Amino acid sequence: MQHKTVIVRPELCVGCMQCAIRCAQAHSATKELATAVFEPVLAKPRIHIGVGVNPQGVLKPFPNKCRHCDPAPCQEACMPGAIRSDIAEGSKVVDPALCIGCGMCAMACPYYAIRYHHDLHAPERTITAIKCDNCHDRQKKGQIPACVEACKTGALEFGYVNEHIKKGAGRLANAAWSMQS
Amino acid sequence: MRYVVVGLHAAGRSACQWLRRADPACEIVGVDPSAGSLYARPLISYVLDGELPEHALVKDSAPFFENLGVQLKRAAAVGLDANRKRLILDSGEELAYDKLLAATGSAPRRVRLEGDGADHVCYFRGQADLARILAHVKSGGVAAVLGGGLVGFKLTHGLVARGMKVKLMVTSPRPLALNVDEYVGSWAGARFKEMDGVHLMTSTSVVRADVHGQGLRLTLDDGSTEDVDLVVAGKGVVPRFAWLAEAGPETDQGLLVDNRLMTSVEDVYAAGDAVQASDIVHERPLLNAIWPNAVEQGRVAALNMAAKGPAQGPAYAGSIAMNAIPIFGTHMVSVGMVNPRYTEGCEFITTTCHRGSYLNIVIRDGVIVGAVGLSAVPRLGELAHAVRTRMKVSRIPARWLKNPRNAAPLAGNTPWYKGSRVGA
Ligand SMILES: Cc1cc2nc3c(=O)[nH]c(=O)nc-3n(C[C@H](O)[C@H](O)[C@H](O)COP(=O)(O)OP(=O)(O)OC[C@H]3O[C@@H](n4cnc5c(N)ncnc54)[C@H](O)[C@@H]3O)c2cc1C
Repeated sequence: MQHKTVIVRPELCVGCMQCAIRCAQAHSATKELATAVFEPVLAKPRIHIGVGVNPQGVLKPFPNKCRHCDPAPCQEACMPGAIRSDIAEGSKVVDPALCIGCGMCAMACPYYAIRYHHDLHAPERTITAIKCDNCHDRQKKGQIPACVEACKTGALEFGYVNEHIKKGAGRLANAAWSMQS
Repeated sequence: MRYVVVGLHAAGRSACQWLRRADPACEIVGVDPSAGSLYARPLISYVLDGELPEHALVKDSAPFFENLGVQLKRAAAVGLDANRKRLILDSGEELAYDKLLAATGSAPRRVRLEGDGADHVCYFRGQADLARILAHVKSGGVAAVLGGGLVGFKLTHGLVARGMKVKLMVTSPRPLALNVDEYVGSWAGARFKEMDGVHLMTSTSVVRADVHGQGLRLTLDDGSTEDVDLVVAGKGVVPRFAWLAEAGPETDQGLLVDNRLMTSVEDVYAAGDAVQASDIVHERPLLNAIWPNAVEQGRVAALNMAAKGPAQGPAYAGSIAMNAIPIFGTHMVSVGMVNPRYTEGCEFITTTCHRGSYLNIVIRDGVIVGAVGLSAVPRLGELAHAVRTRMKVSRIPARWLKNPRNAAPLAGNTPWYKGSRVGA
């Protein structure tokens, strides 16, 4: 089955970082920006804006997040089975209760999409793996992922990959594949 | 179609999952004397150091295997009759198979010692070993850890956390001689020297163990002796495949396989620690006994076993050495070729970042062949990808090296799994 997913179009990103802020907010305890910044365990973004270079040699922002690969190398490297496929269909979600913070998943991830932080869902551990969970909580409530909601330029869209490719295979391929860090 | 999976840990369990996914109607039989318990053996070190409660280690395996429709046989394989396609179990039972996976992993390398205490040496491989060690742990007592590799490291940490004084005895001149470069090895050695309760003894081996009161008296190669309450060895692992030797598969240190992970015996595949697959960097069969390789090989072998007719499953790209361990408040990570024994003549790009992080990229003939670092874990994932894809160093933009924290990933949007995607 196809799942809706966050589609990244780096060529449209202006690097405003709204996605990162709203992502952290959505993963905070209070879910409100004004209060989230005062929480004892600060929520972290799971989408990051890296600096890339386009084929013309111009510096460009690059929105970077988990691709929810299948098969997923992070999941294959996860010894305690903390990266689960059964929490939200089509998404690879870290279960903080099982994560031991060993670092194997990030070693296996080619995309620099996994970071380690103190997580409010596993306060007893100093660090756990933190990465995009496709906002499955929000999706259950009929909302779209927070990063997509925040993006004003169309660099992040929520939809079906196949439909998206149909819309502009060439456009997408050119933009996405020629991007280098 | 009847698939028999022998050994149900990292590789075997992964294979069961992918066999079911690829062939919903097939019959899968799993054979393992410890089939009833479900756990991940690396986690025993987290129990030893108290980070994980003992009861959290092992779960009942029944729901996992029932869900996959795997029929379990709690028995050990003792023989293989490849002509009749029968697996022989220690219970005397014979099991017919169409395709078989050998995933019997590895066993700790035994240390050979003189003396009547030799049998008292513990190893650190599974839950039974953990129980044996915990039974001997004595707060305030003295333990000897033999071996300065990753398992020796974890043992030392765990035993110190349990209140023991640890004598870490390493044959090489520095710990982690095989796993990391000189900088990280010396860094780790220095941390151990500073650590309370640890006595690092390099260039030291034990030759004899004698029962001495409640404990053991060890004799070292320089003739001196040490009295200890517990001896645990972490001296590497040996692939376990004697049970199918009669079928005559090609072997070296481990089972040799083709690029579909089939052994030289028709319809017998192999995955995990038991296998000596081709190493991506060294371009020859090598033992890389780590979890991610075992799980990936389990998947690739399963998809090839389940491929129908002339169709083939994905080719196995090769194994790679990689490891990440949390240690002394940071992560120590390595991937590919970093052992100074092999990196002579290579070029190096070394970056040190804020707060003591360190990254060393090893380059041979313009291609990235390895990387090792401290607290640089996420970037090591990209470098592992670079090693796997034989990325040219010229593709690493200068700004990536200048500011690894904020650069876009090297892999960009290139899918890592080219061609291995199935029925998602
Ligand atoms: C303390 C420790 C820490 C580790 N840390 C890490 C780490 O941080 N990162 C990492 O990548 N790797 C780590 N490893 C290595 C990792 O655990 C192994 O690579 C992995 O378990 C290999 O899986 P496997 O399925 O090939 O074999 P194994 O895990 O060895 O499992 C083999 C299975 O086969 C069964 N079996 C054996 N003989 C027979 C027989 N004759 N018939 C039927 N069944 C049989 C056994 O009961 C067992 O269940 C660690 C290992 C240990 C012990």
